[in-house]
Amino acid sequence: MPRFHFDILENGHLTQDEDGRDFADGNAARKEAVLTGASIARDAFTTGSSHRIVVDVREEGAPFLKVSITLEVEEA
Amino acid sequence: MPRGFNPQREYEVAGDAIRAALIKRLRISSAIADDDVKEIEALPIVVRHFPAETAVVRDGERATDCCLIADGFCARSKTIANGKRQILSIHIPGEIPDLMSLFLHVMDHDLATLTACTLGFISHETLQRLHRRRPVVAEMFWRDTLIDSAMFREWIVNVGQRPAPARLAHVMIELRERLRIIGRLDGNNFEMPLTQEQVGEALGITAVHANRVIKQLRQEGIVDLHRGRVTVLDERKFLELADFDNRYLHQSPTL
Repeated sequence: MPRFHFDILENGHLTQDEDGRDFADGNAARKEAVLTGASIARDAFTTGSSHRIVVDVREEGAPFLKVSITLEVEEA
Repeated sequence: MPRGFNPQREYEVAGDAIRAALIKRLRISSAIADDDVKEIEALPIVVRHFPAETAVVRDGERATDCCLIADGFCARSKTIANGKRQILSIHIPGEIPDLMSLFLHVMDHDLATLTACTLGFISHETLQRLHRRRPVVAEMFWRDTLIDSAMFREWIVNVGQRPAPARLAHVMIELRERLRIIGRLDGNNFEMPLTQEQVGEALGITAVHANRVIKQLRQEGIVDLHRGRVTVLDERKFLELADFDNRYLHQSPTL
């Protein structure tokens, strides 16, 4: 099983994932990245700690995909 | 087999330890008369050892016994169609996590071990006879299942309303309060034998998010969860974060 690392960028602060995690395939890792981004964004957006979350996924050290979630509120 | 090993003897010792754990815990929340304690001490219990992460009774199964935890940790959970699992509760020695199977005949969720466990099985028939003979014991078990449902209410509030770091802190403090009752605290240290995956399943977040929350609480000097052990780093911050009020645990006969 390939090993994926999920680095998280919140409010310009990067948390690197040194341990990584095994997933059956890239699709499972992509799902985890999207869900993780959504879940962190829910906390960050509702507590107001950040407006943008990036989950940067590496597969065996090489870039794999990036999930970016941004809060935009347009007042009328 | 090692010299001097006597399976029958080991069986009896384990059985006694199991009853002691149950009585110790019940005494905290209910006033029990000595006669009733004797009845519980006389319950026939079948002791079995289970490896870690093993099903005890599965969703959809019909149970014929209730399972009393003598040693180790168990969890109740439910898995939905897409394979995602929600951990509903964590259970510790002295608890009977499937007591409701006495009246709810087909399991509506899973009960499994988290760590290697020693479990004592008491047949439904025996428990029903005891309840009819000693209504006070029945009332005590009733109260126990009501406390169980109070914990579920708190779990719903936790997962539904608190941000993830507070959610984790709350689950930790609840576990600490319950371990304190059975004398399983080790200074500012206690067991919470969950993998990051399982922490995620308990909090309703992904394993990656759980990993981040654990790291965050450690970096902020609040609490450290490492290899299934929790070390509190700053008690005041820990309590403040968790927003914990132990009233729902009803850890006194007057509460």
